[in-house]
Amino acid sequence: MNELLPLIPGQLEDVLTSLRSFVPELCLSGLFLLVFLTDLIAGKQSAWLCRSLVSAGLLVVLFTDLQQVALVLREAKVLFGNTLILTRTAISFKLIIDFFAVFLALYVGLDRKLEQHPKGLGDLYTIITASLLGLHLMTMSFNLLMLFLSVEMVSLASYLLAAYRSESGFSAEAGLKYVLFGAVSSAVMLYGISLIYSLSGSLNYLGSNMLPGLAAANPVLAGLAVVLTLAGLGFKLSFTPMHFWAPDVYQGAPTPVTAYLSILPKASGFALLTNFLIPFLVYERWHAIDFRVLISVIAIASMIVGNFAAIWQKNIKRMLAYSSIGHTGFLLMAVTTFTAQGIRSLTFYIAAYAIANLAALMLVTYFSDETNAEDLEAYRGLGLKYPVAAVCFTISLISLTGLPATVGFNGKLLVFSSVYSIYQQNHSIWLLLLLITGALTTVVSLFYYIKVPLYLFIKKAEKVIEETEEGAAPSLLPIIIILSFLVILLGIFPDFLSFLL
Amino acid sequence: MNLLTLLIFIPLLAGLVIAVMPSSLRGSFKYITLLTAVIQLVLSVLIYLNFKTGATHAGVVHEDQFQFVQKLPWIRLNLGGVGDLQIDYFVGIDGVSVTLLVMSALVMIVAVIASWEIKTNLKGYFILFLILDMAVFGVFSALDFFLFYLFYELMLLPLYFLIGMWGGPRREYASIKFFLYTLFGSVFMLLVMVGLYLSVKDPVTGNHTFNIIQMMNPANYDAGSVFSALSHQTILGMPARMVGFVVLFIAFAIKVPVVPLHTWLPDAHVEAPTPVSILLAGVLLKIGGYGIIRICAGIFPDAAVQSSYWLGLLGVISILYGALNALAQRDLKRLIAYSSVSHMGFVLLGIASFTAEGISGAIMQMVSHGFLSSMLFFLVGVVYTRVHDRDIYNFRGLATLMPSYTLFVVIAFFASLGLPGFSAFVAEAFSLAGAFKSANTNGLLPQWMAACGALGILLGAGYFLWTLQRMFFGTPLLKGGESWKLSLTDINWRERSALIPLAFMALLLGVMPSLVFNKINDSVLLLVDFTRQFIK
Repeated sequence: MNELLPLIPGQLEDVLTSLRSFVPELCLSGLFLLVFLTDLIAGKQSAWLCRSLVSAGLLVVLFTDLQQVALVLREAKVLFGNTLILTRTAISFKLIIDFFAVFLALYVGLDRKLEQHPKGLGDLYTIITASLLGLHLMTMSFNLLMLFLSVEMVSLASYLLAAYRSESGFSAEAGLKYVLFGAVSSAVMLYGISLIYSLSGSLNYLGSNMLPGLAAANPVLAGLAVVLTLAGLGFKLSFTPMHFWAPDVYQGAPTPVTAYLSILPKASGFALLTNFLIPFLVYERWHAIDFRVLISVIAIASMIVGNFAAIWQKNIKRMLAYSSIGHTGFLLMAVTTFTAQGIRSLTFYIAAYAIANLAALMLVTYFSDETNAEDLEAYRGLGLKYPVAAVCFTISLISLTGLPATVGFNGKLLVFSSVYSIYQQNHSIWLLLLLITGALTTVVSLFYYIKVPLYLFIKKAEKVIEETEEGAAPSLLPIIIILSFLVILLGIFPDFLSFLL
Repeated sequence: MNLLTLLIFIPLLAGLVIAVMPSSLRGSFKYITLLTAVIQLVLSVLIYLNFKTGATHAGVVHEDQFQFVQKLPWIRLNLGGVGDLQIDYFVGIDGVSVTLLVMSALVMIVAVIASWEIKTNLKGYFILFLILDMAVFGVFSALDFFLFYLFYELMLLPLYFLIGMWGGPRREYASIKFFLYTLFGSVFMLLVMVGLYLSVKDPVTGNHTFNIIQMMNPANYDAGSVFSALSHQTILGMPARMVGFVVLFIAFAIKVPVVPLHTWLPDAHVEAPTPVSILLAGVLLKIGGYGIIRICAGIFPDAAVQSSYWLGLLGVISILYGALNALAQRDLKRLIAYSSVSHMGFVLLGIASFTAEGISGAIMQMVSHGFLSSMLFFLVGVVYTRVHDRDIYNFRGLATLMPSYTLFVVIAFFASLGLPGFSAFVAEAFSLAGAFKSANTNGLLPQWMAACGALGILLGAGYFLWTLQRMFFGTPLLKGGESWKLSLTDINWRERSALIPLAFMALLLGVMPSLVFNKINDSVLLLVDFTRQFIK
């Protein structure tokens, strides 16, 4: 005990200096407490109050994120005794997460089915804010313990969100499935981490014995440890073969929660994945697994499984769930480059995907609230009745397909060119296969994405379209229009987006 | 203000105007669109008249020789290690594109006139029409590959909806088939585009660039890059430049369409409403031919010359297969769709010869076919709007019922089958002459290909004359009886106003082909000269 005493001032010093680079997270913690207390005090009427608090608070957090850019201009900062790392990429991810969190916070209150929930929405805002803290930590984690803690923090929040409407059987089923699968995958990941620890005696990525220890260990065992850890991460990212939960949960969860699940944990999951993998690639003596091949195989499998499975779906949310698996595959393609350019294209593509996917899911809410339409069949002829919404739907799906002039196309172009430039150097057959699969699945994805405009505009309604009494929330459509406009604007002028990321 | 930019974006402006106008004014949408098309025609004629000829204005591979150029920096993405992503708004024309612009502008007007028959969802229809209009002119003018691709893809969605929403009974099938076919070609084009972009560096700025003209200069390729001619890289064991060429060729061949990639075309044509058929046949097919000349042959001349035998063969197969299929059709619109496949085969045959005659003939054929196929589809539309039937065997003796209509049909049919005095004769004669000459000069195509091409003209005469005999001659006998007889009134002034300019142009270009040849000659010569160095 006594021999540790001299280290304490240094540790304290480290913590104190680290706090200066931890402002957004501190703000988030404060916001969480504030929302939590407001919800407690204001009771059932607190929904709008919490919503305004969260939105305003998140704008502050966004601002502090931007301020951090100056901190890492020259080099990345390691915080809290090597557990966190603050890089420009991490800030980009945080910007993406917080930006979309603002929209999600607004969106949650605009979904009629969720809004009418007897519990009220106050809890929901508290959970989302808490999960944001976890998401921030995920993007920066540089230590296996921090990795596990942050992932679990987000997972717990996600379980609660997915099962929020527990009185509806479908939502409860989705929530339960999610919890069970999630718990198992966490256990698997923890097992992997414990193996890594037992082999190397360290949890820190760098400046420790982790990589040398793993490289010196039995390659099969070391490989197994890493693969188990990756499998746990894969659950968060929903890549093949860890994708099986996604369709059920996406379909069963309330739509705003689906939007949350398909955007935020995915974005920070990718940050986590790159942070975890890059040390292995930098370390020359690691030979147990060629990550480029492994990730390529997973990416190809995800693109094929996600896109082909989506063709057969009748439910829009389920279709979007499968398509999101396909997009994960495409994003993994950007990860395989392991270059600065690749990571930039990764963040760009995530942002592009998030805008369009958010708009699409908001439109699912819109049509479901207006006419109770959830399935493709129910969309028949709705385009002529709701032309603006239907045109926005078409725009966002075109962006998800990756056709010009939308932001999705620019994302696709950037990912392709970052992979291509690596292919040009090493002529790896895997990268070529990735490119070809990426192109082919684009055509496949058009086949199911275009079904939505097909039903909206081209198929004639067979019976009179029944409207619900209440209709969709009036401010939902303006938000959708803003997002669709962003899709086109960033499609024509991608500089605006890449400037921020 | 740059004339070309104006020409491209006027439709977008008109589209925005229509978008914000209330639906109560829907009657005026067609007039706004017509006005837009007329302005575009005036602009394109201005461009045509001011287009300078001479060896110093040939364009093709010389960036400074392009005319009506506008080049603005557009997208500059900093990509970290590999420098900036350099994308310019870069438009300009040379001899290859100038005549196509005028042709497209005239066909647009005819298509708008044909749009009078559209009665539902006018707002959506005309907005989509105008977006398509913009994209077409954009494709013909873009000299930046990114911009080209953007316009190229921008055509797909409007066309999908135009066929899907206003088309015939099997419109869903036809529109998605069209969309998937074209997208299949173009996503792989995207891969090649990215590959080219990463291979080529702008000598001035040192950035990678999408500039098409700079992609044509072997000196701009990075040593060791995938598509560099010197590094002899391979993709999946095949020479990289050949792979790049084949992928681009397939993308454009789907558009042309070249047999065996043509199967979307008859379906799309049959289901599309008349104005969309006109645009499809008159303008959009030309984008395929234009792409093969500008992009495939321009960027990969070595691979193009090497594979010219196969290009010629595909051209001949298209000519014969299209014609034989046309002979077998009962549906008049399907017949004309297959005749388009056959006629566009001459374009490919002409290009494949890589002779001045052949390429001039190919461009002439594109212009001529633009006018004639528009006329043919318009004529089919006339009968179809009146009785909603176009089975050849359901009509007989139409000449007695609709004399002036029959006159235009006769003009269109005879012009299409290559009667001397009409544009198609000149075009096909030049294409075939190029193919014949190729055997003796550059040895790319054997003479039997030209002979088979000539056989295609004979088959063309067969199906056109036979149709004339079946439908128009003899005593009137209609499937619908008296009610059809009453519906089948002769053409009105609106239809005349669309048909007369087309017939006039077909005749004018037949008598004075120099109107086209003078403008394209320098560019064609330069292109032939440019490709000659790769012929071994």
